[in-house]
Parts: sequence; C-alpha cells; structure tokens
Amino acid sequence: MSRQLPVATTPELVARAKLLSRRHRGALAGMVALHAAAATAGLAAPALLGHLVQSVVDGTTVRHIDEVVLLLALALVAQTALTWFARYASFRLSERVFADLREEFMERVLALPLSTVERAGIGDLVSRTTSDIDALARTVRFAIPETIIAAVTTTLTVAAVVWISPVAALACLAGAPLLIVGTRWYLKRAPRGYLWERAAYARVAGTVGETVDGARTVDALSLAETRIAGIDADLADATAAERFTLLLRMVWFPSVELACMLPVVFALAWMGWLVSAGHASIGEATAVVLYTAQLSDPVDRLISWLDEIQVGAASLARLVGIESVPADREESGAQPQGESLLARDARFAYHEGRDVLHGVDLELRTGERLAVVGPSGAGKSTLGRLLAGIHPPRTGEVSLGGVPLVELPLEQLRTEVALVTQEQHVFVGSLAENLRLARPGASDDELQGALAGVDADTWADTLPDGLDTQVGAGALTLTPAQTQQLALARLVLADPHTLVLDEATSLLDPRAARHLERSLASLLEGRTVVAIAHRLHTAHDADRVAVIEDGLIAELGSHHDLLEHGGSYAALWKSWQA
Amino acid sequence: MVDLGLPLADPGTPDTRSPARLLVWVGRQQLGMLLIAIAFGTVWMVAQSLVPWAVGQGIQEGVVQGDEQRLLVWTAVLLGLALLQALMGSLRHRYAVNNGLMASFRFIQLLGRHVARTGAAVQDRLTTGEVVATVSNDALRSGNAFDITARLAGAIASYVVVAVILLSASPALGILVLAGVPLLVLCLGVVIKPLQRRQREQREQVGHLTALGADTAVGLRVLRGIGGESAFLDRYRAQSERVRVSGLHVARPQSTLDAAQVFLPGLFVVLVTWIGARFVVSGRLEPGELVAFYGYAAFLVIPLRTAAEALDKMTRALVGARRMLTVLEVEPIAAEPESPVPGPSAGAGLADARTGVTIEPGRLTCLVSEFPDEGAALADRFGVLTDDATGASFGDIPLMRLSLAELRSRVLVSEASPVLFAGTLRSTLDPTGMATDTEILTALAIANGLDIVEALDDGLDDEVDERGRSFSGGQRQRLVLARALLADPEVMILVEPTSAVDAHSEARIARALHDARAGKTTVIVTASPLVLEVADRVAWLESGRLAASGTHHELLATVPGYRNTVTRGESDE
Repeated sequence: MSRQLPVATTPELVARAKLLSRRHRGALAGMVALHAAAATAGLAAPALLGHLVQSVVDGTTVRHIDEVVLLLALALVAQTALTWFARYASFRLSERVFADLREEFMERVLALPLSTVERAGIGDLVSRTTSDIDALARTVRFAIPETIIAAVTTTLTVAAVVWISPVAALACLAGAPLLIVGTRWYLKRAPRGYLWERAAYARVAGTVGETVDGARTVDALSLAETRIAGIDADLADATAAERFTLLLRMVWFPSVELACMLPVVFALAWMGWLVSAGHASIGEATAVVLYTAQLSDPVDRLISWLDEIQVGAASLARLVGIESVPADREESGAQPQGESLLARDARFAYHEGRDVLHGVDLELRTGERLAVVGPSGAGKSTLGRLLAGIHPPRTGEVSLGGVPLVELPLEQLRTEVALVTQEQHVFVGSLAENLRLARPGASDDELQGALAGVDADTWADTLPDGLDTQVGAGALTLTPAQTQQLALARLVLADPHTLVLDEATSLLDPRAARHLERSLASLLEGRTVVAIAHRLHTAHDADRVAVIEDGLIAELGSHHDLLEHGGSYAALWKSWQA
Repeated sequence: MVDLGLPLADPGTPDTRSPARLLVWVGRQQLGMLLIAIAFGTVWMVAQSLVPWAVGQGIQEGVVQGDEQRLLVWTAVLLGLALLQALMGSLRHRYAVNNGLMASFRFIQLLGRHVARTGAAVQDRLTTGEVVATVSNDALRSGNAFDITARLAGAIASYVVVAVILLSASPALGILVLAGVPLLVLCLGVVIKPLQRRQREQREQVGHLTALGADTAVGLRVLRGIGGESAFLDRYRAQSERVRVSGLHVARPQSTLDAAQVFLPGLFVVLVTWIGARFVVSGRLEPGELVAFYGYAAFLVIPLRTAAEALDKMTRALVGARRMLTVLEVEPIAAEPESPVPGPSAGAGLADARTGVTIEPGRLTCLVSEFPDEGAALADRFGVLTDDATGASFGDIPLMRLSLAELRSRVLVSEASPVLFAGTLRSTLDPTGMATDTEILTALAIANGLDIVEALDDGLDDEVDERGRSFSGGQRQRLVLARALLADPEVMILVEPTSAVDAHSEARIARALHDARAGKTTVIVTASPLVLEVADRVAWLESGRLAASGTHHELLATVPGYRNTVTRGESDE
C-alpha cells in the first residue's frame, strides 16, 4: 500500500549498521577478541583426538592417554570460562545498542507529521512501535552476536586445518560454491518475502483490532460473518507470504545442509589418499576430517542466523524508514512578537490535489472568544489543527506574532497554543503522569488544582491511590466524560495564551457540559479561545462567529451582526430556535 | 507445488477447559500433518546421527588400514547420508512450518471468530490492545510448539539410535549415553530456572515498554495538541533503561546457560573419548571406532539443544494458550435463548416495562431523557445489546426469548459513537453486498452524505482508512446513518444519530429520515430540537421512568424539565 509509512532501503540500513559499529568500536572489538579466544580453545579437541588415534596406531601407554585426555578437559574448562565472558560482553553491548535504537526511533515517531501518520493508518505505526521493536530484540540480542561468533569460529577452524596441512584445506572449500550460490539466491529474494509477511500480519492485527473497537456495531448490525471473512482474507494474504518464504527456504536449507556435509565427504576421500600417498599422517587425517565435521556447526549457525537477521532487517527497515518522512516543521529560532494568531490564504489537503481549505484568512484578536461553526466536513477541525500548528498549511501562512507556527519548537508552541479535541486518549501510567505530560515539572498541588478546575476532583479524589492510580489500557478505565475532563485538565496545566477547543465538551451530558463550561469560563478568562462547535449556543456566547463553508470563511462577525446580515448563520439560528 | 491449506475453512470448536487441553485439542485437529512432519524429522535426524559411524568406518578401513576400495565405499555412504539428510531436512521444514502455521492460524481464526461474536462483552473485559496482542503474539508463539515437534521427535529417535550403537559396542559407554543425556537435560533445566525467572521480569518490563510504544502511536494526536512529546519521550527513555537493566540481569544466567551448553556436552565428549581411548589401548576398540564415538558424543549436542528448545517453546505455548483463553472465555453479551420463540408478525410495537415506554408501530418516536445515558440504555434493551433486557418486549413477546438471528434482522440499533471499518466505501456502507449503487446513493442522500462520496477520487470504490479515521466525526455519523438505512430493518433505533452533525444538515436529515421511514417503526434517542420537531411522538423520561409523551411542541409548552433539556439552558437566559 502506497499510503504506508516508508521503509528504509538496503543502502540506508548498511549505513546505519556502519554508524552503529563505529559508535561502539571498542566494545565490539573486545567482544570479538573474547569469542575468538573461546573458539580457539574449542579447536583443541580434534587436534588432540588426531594425536590419540596416531598414538594408538603407533603404540602408546594408558598414562599417555590419560595425559592427553586431561589436556582435552583443560581446553574444555578454558572454553567454558571464555564463553561465559564473551557471551556476557555481547549481551551487554547488544542491550546498549538496542536501547539506543528504540529510543532514537521513538524520538522520531514523536516528531512525525501527523498527516503522514493518519494517511498510513495508526495500525502501521502501532505495529512498528510494538511488534517491530519486539522482532528486532531477537535480532540484536541473539542473531547479530551469534553471527559474529559463527564467523569467528568458522575462520579459526579453517585456519586450524591450514595449519595442519595447507593442501588439506582444499577440502574445506568443497561446499563453498553451493553455499555461496544458494545463499545469494535466497538473500536476494527473502527480504521482500519477510516484509510482505510482516505487513500481512499487521493487517490481520488491524482487522481484529477494528472488530474489537467496533464490537457493538458488529453485534448490532450482524456483521460478525463479514468481519470473520475479512480476517480470513487477511490470513489468506499472510498464507501467500508464508508460502513464498517457505518455498525459498525449502531450496536454501537443503543446499546449506549439503554444503556443510560436502567438506567432510571430500576430506575423508582426500585425506585417505594423502595418507596412502605418504603426504599426511593418520593423526593429521583424523584431525582434518573432524575439523571439517566441526565446521558445519558454525557455518550452519552463520547461515541460519542470517535468515533471522533478514527478519530483523525487515523490522529495522520499518523503524529506520520513519527517518525518511520529510519533517513538516523546522525550527527557525525566530521569536514571536506578541500573541496575535493570524492565518493568511491558508490552504490544506490531506490527500494530494484535494484541498480541504481553500485559502482561509483569519486574524484572532487577543483575548477574544471565536466560535467556528459550519456544516460537517466543511473544514472546521482542519482549520483548528492549522491554528494550533499541528499541520503546516499547504500554501499560505499561519503565524503567531509574525513567526509561522511550524517554525516554533514544539515545547514552546504548546505554551502558546494548545488544542483539545473530542478524540481523547488516556495514556498508560498513573493519573499524575497523564497530567504531567502537559507540564513536566508540575507539583501535586498544581495537578489537584487543575483537576478541580474542570470538575474532575469529584471522581479523582475517590480513586484508590489518588494521583498515583494507574489508568489506561490494562488498568483503570476512565469513562469518556472523565477522559475529556482529563484532557481539559491537561490544557489547564499547559497554560497557553491561545486555546483551540474542537468539540471539547461534546462527550459530556448536557448538564455536566453546561456546568463544566461555566467552570472553564473562569479558566478561559483572558485567553484567546477558538471554539469549534456544531451546537449554536456556543456561537451565541462568543465574541465573534466564523461560519466555515466548503473550506472557506463564509461569514465572520458577532452573533448579532451575523443575524442582521441575514446569511446562512441567521437561517441556521432561526431553525435552531424554532 | 505447496498447498498449506490455510486459512482453515472452519477452525472448529476448541476445548477451553485448560491451556494444556487447548493445545492438545489443536494437536488432535492436525494429527495427520504432525505425524508426517515427525516421520520426516525422524529420518532426517537419524541420517545425521549415522554420519559419525560412516566417518569412523572410513577412517578405520580407508585410512588406518589403507584400503582404497573401502575408502571409496565409505565416502559414497557418507555422500548418500548427506543427500538424504538434505532432502529430508527440506521436507521436515515444509511440514513443520505448515504445522506451526496451521496451529497459529487456527488460534487466530478462533480468536477472530470469538471477538466478532461476543458483542460489547469483549470490550468490557479486555482492551483492544490485549486482544490484538493475543493475535499477533500469543497465537504465533503457541504455533511454535507445533513447529518444533518434528525436530523433537527426530532428536529423541537419534538419541536412541546413538545409544543403541554404543550399547552394542560397550555396555559401559551405552549406559553412559543413555543415562547421561537425560541427566544433562535435567542439569540444563536447573540452569534454565533462574534464567526463566529473570526473563519473566524482563518480559514484564518489555511489556510496559511496548504499552508505552503502542500509546505513542495511538495517542500521538492528543500529544500533539497538548505538547506532551518531550515528557512522553522522557518516560519512554526511563522505561527503556529499565528494560536494558533487566536485560543485563538476564545476561548472567543466559551466559551461564550458554557456557553450560559448552561444558556439559563437552564433559560427555571427554568421558567418552577417555573410556574409548583406553578401550583402544586394551584392544577392545579399533582406532576408527574411537573417532566414531567421539563423533556420536559431539553429535548428541544437537538432540540435547533441541530438547531444551522444545521445553522452552512448550512453556511459552502454555503461557500463550492461557492468555488466549482469557479471550475465548468471554461470554457473548446477549445469550441465545434456550428455547427461542418466533417473534410477532410484522407491524408489532415495542414496550419496556421498566421505564413504561411504549413504541407505536409504523411511527417515528423520539426518546428524550434528562441524562442521555438513560435513553441509550433503553435503546440497548430494545436491541438486546445488553445482558439484561428483561421487561422489554416486541409485540407480546419478551425480546430476550427471540432468537438473536431473528432479532438482529428485525430490530437494528445504530450507535452514538459510530465505527466504520476499513475496506471500500461501498462495502462499509453495505457489508452484505446486496444493495445496488442507486440504493446506496439514495440512502446517502437521506443521510445528507452525497457530498462525502463526491469528494472522494473513486467515489464508492474509495478505500476507507482503518476505523474510518480520514472522515470527520460528522461525516462518519452520516455514513453510519446511511449504513443503517440500507439495512432497512423493520424497527430502526438510532442513538444520537446527528450529535456531531451541524445544525443545518441535521434539520435536512431529520426531515428526509421521517419521509424515508414513513409507515415503519423508527426510534431516535436525541435531545436535538431539530430532530424532535419531525417526530410523530416524543417520550420524555425523568428519573428513568416515562414522565410525559406527546408532540415536541406540546411537551415544550407543558413540561419545564423537557424544555430545559432540549434547549440546553438557553431558554433561561
């Protein structure tokens, strides 16, 4: 789907990997050195066994056998100890790398242009922030260290064979052509398959999520069978993706297994011939055959973790891909002169070529209360988002004291203008944490005050752990009305001079809304307020009313001016009063 | 070439008595497939376990004794084993994956079918995130337990083969292997215990982090409005650090386990080599056989590791099954009556004993209450979207006695906070695919929603975003109304159908709705004067009981509480 968020290209991933290894050069070198030492200790066994076979053929004593086996045991102890330290070093490094990766990713997510996220669907972003990070965990914690270990072990094993008998080393290469051809063939095709799988499973999750969110609708409209068919259709796509990668592996796996065995076959024949021709001893032949057999484990691991790295790379590509979303805001460092908010010829489109706003001009007067009314879909909420600096206008300008809103740093912007809509979200965490999002350093008293200011103290005081009560997914669920009050309390804490309220009290029942609006009135005192509403009583109380129709301000003036003007607002008011 | 047979036509009825039973039940459903995978897995591993034997013979006869003829024979045997192993490995993988997927998909299909059929009950018990996690994590993880069965079976078979070979050569060595391998698995189990405990702690921390991650995506719009980005990022960073530290706690036992996996099988190799080498000196074994014994001991690492991995996957599958059961155990909100009775013939009215409200057939009735929740609750009772609809009846028949299929086809409740589903606009409006374009456009015209379709590039074929998020609240409401109109039920109950629509459109919708539903039973829960005006009759609820009824204007004139509610306090200015 073209609307999905971007995915990084292979060169971008390689560049990122290089950057990471440069950043952790020292730790990486230490870890490789430890693993190399462990692998070297592991090379003792075949050599000692070769020596044993040679000794018994030549005739030896039990005492000598015991001594050689003691050496074998010592090598094992050394390998065990070195393995422990090497492993711990790699876990420590990978935890660091993974933490850096996810934190940098999340920083970017939080700066993503909202319009891009909405076009792609929240589901895409959710799966990146959850399952892709999870999938990457395995790659960073296991696949990458294991690949490094396997590569080091393979190299050292081949080196051991070369050391015993350079000619014998030819046998090690017997499987190489098959291994290289098969793996290249596979790696060229696999990424597409794994990306396809991930996208397919993300859609399955999205469809199930939608079904749960719309459970009542599904029930009321008897949509169960349709939803089930939808899930099965998504699974059919996942099946096609799984089948594709399975077919790839059904070719690749046997070619790897065969490639790992061929060196043993060749070593046996080749060394047998060398021994009979007098070019090698029986002990050397035994050691080389055992080394080639021992080679198959690291090579097999190297290859199979490569497969796992493909899965991780697919996830990493989705994380890093976020970086290529062009920023829709750029800090210029300019400081606003004054608090006046101005829109000039502002146009905006969610989908290219389909403007929702067609050149809006609007100057807010400091301290005024402006009501924005108009038919649904006319662009009221979009205008609100532009005025709050959430979207930059496609063309034209929305500026505060002469500075375009998208040139202000987000932290500063929110102390100037804030937006609360009817869509709300309770974040996982305590009630206090939910509130402090709006003002990180706020004291408990300030939090209590904010809650009281929006009539939320009545229920907040009865919570079992007060401000520390855990709320959000998996904890206490707040009612829609409580959620909305929480949002308004955040607004109180953010304390901006200009507020955009988009149907901010629509989820409350009429009496509670009326009460809340009265208590809000004192909080709104002295601030510039843009209130978007489809209920006309909001407009009646405002200093000015802007009527939005078809993406333009059709009428602008006080309630009484507009009634006298006799335009569409007047007509609307009449039908409302009837 | 490869047909996975998925998704399943019917995932069946699961055994939900316990997590283990659920897994066993799934295994039974695909027993044939499991046996095929086990067969291939067994041949594959046994072929591998015979490699040391061929190598040992080759060294003995071809190298030590220098018989070139025998050297070639044993090389050929080794090559044959390699080819067999590669072929069987490929087939083993194919069926193992199929088993894993079949189990995972069965779980996903069961979960999907269940949540689609429970109504609001699932939302009462679980969050969307929890349900999605069972689908995207637990179902896939539990499938792994079925994937690994083939390798586990092969591991056990190869272990037996090796033990028998050694036993026939020397009872001492045979017993060492037979008893030693299970002992080593037990030793690894001891090492794994603290590892698993710390992994659990780590998973818990990761779970919190994932929740924060999901929160970021879902709550991004809210964060943008209020500017909580940096505070949120600080929270994420702090939790990310806790995950890192818990990862370091895991790293110690994990390193110990990895070191143990080197040491314990290595010890085995040392012992077997030691005993074997002494046997060679005393003439009981040939040198080549010593090489083979060394090979067997080294090979045993593979079945050992597979056994440990299988144990781990089975444990995870049980945990996953436990979580999936919490979803599958959710009872549908409205239960199918034990002995359903047929509903009344067409043209029956509705009545609710609890509130005293009656709905006359063929007319448009509006319900107004002091608190909007009361009206919505009554709509739920009429539509049996709640677990307690006692007292509500359709004609003379209690609604709860009707079969759900009949009830849903005759009485439709359309909600206040509408949910649209992704797909084409056409399929969103007409999920059953029965309506013509003309009918769809007519319904949209009544809902005052033609402009929404006209603004889309592909009109009715335009793709609706997930949950219809690209539409505004008012647009969503009008689309949902059109969806309800297309269903054209005998009784239509609309809850606040125009609460997010502007006054102008609302007035038009109300009139068009009244005309379109002429002669049919329609109930609207609302407090909007523009809608109340077109009602044939308005019922006014006070403290949960019917207090007055009449036309909108009659009630305005005679009932002060009613007047206050519908004018929302404006009249007292």
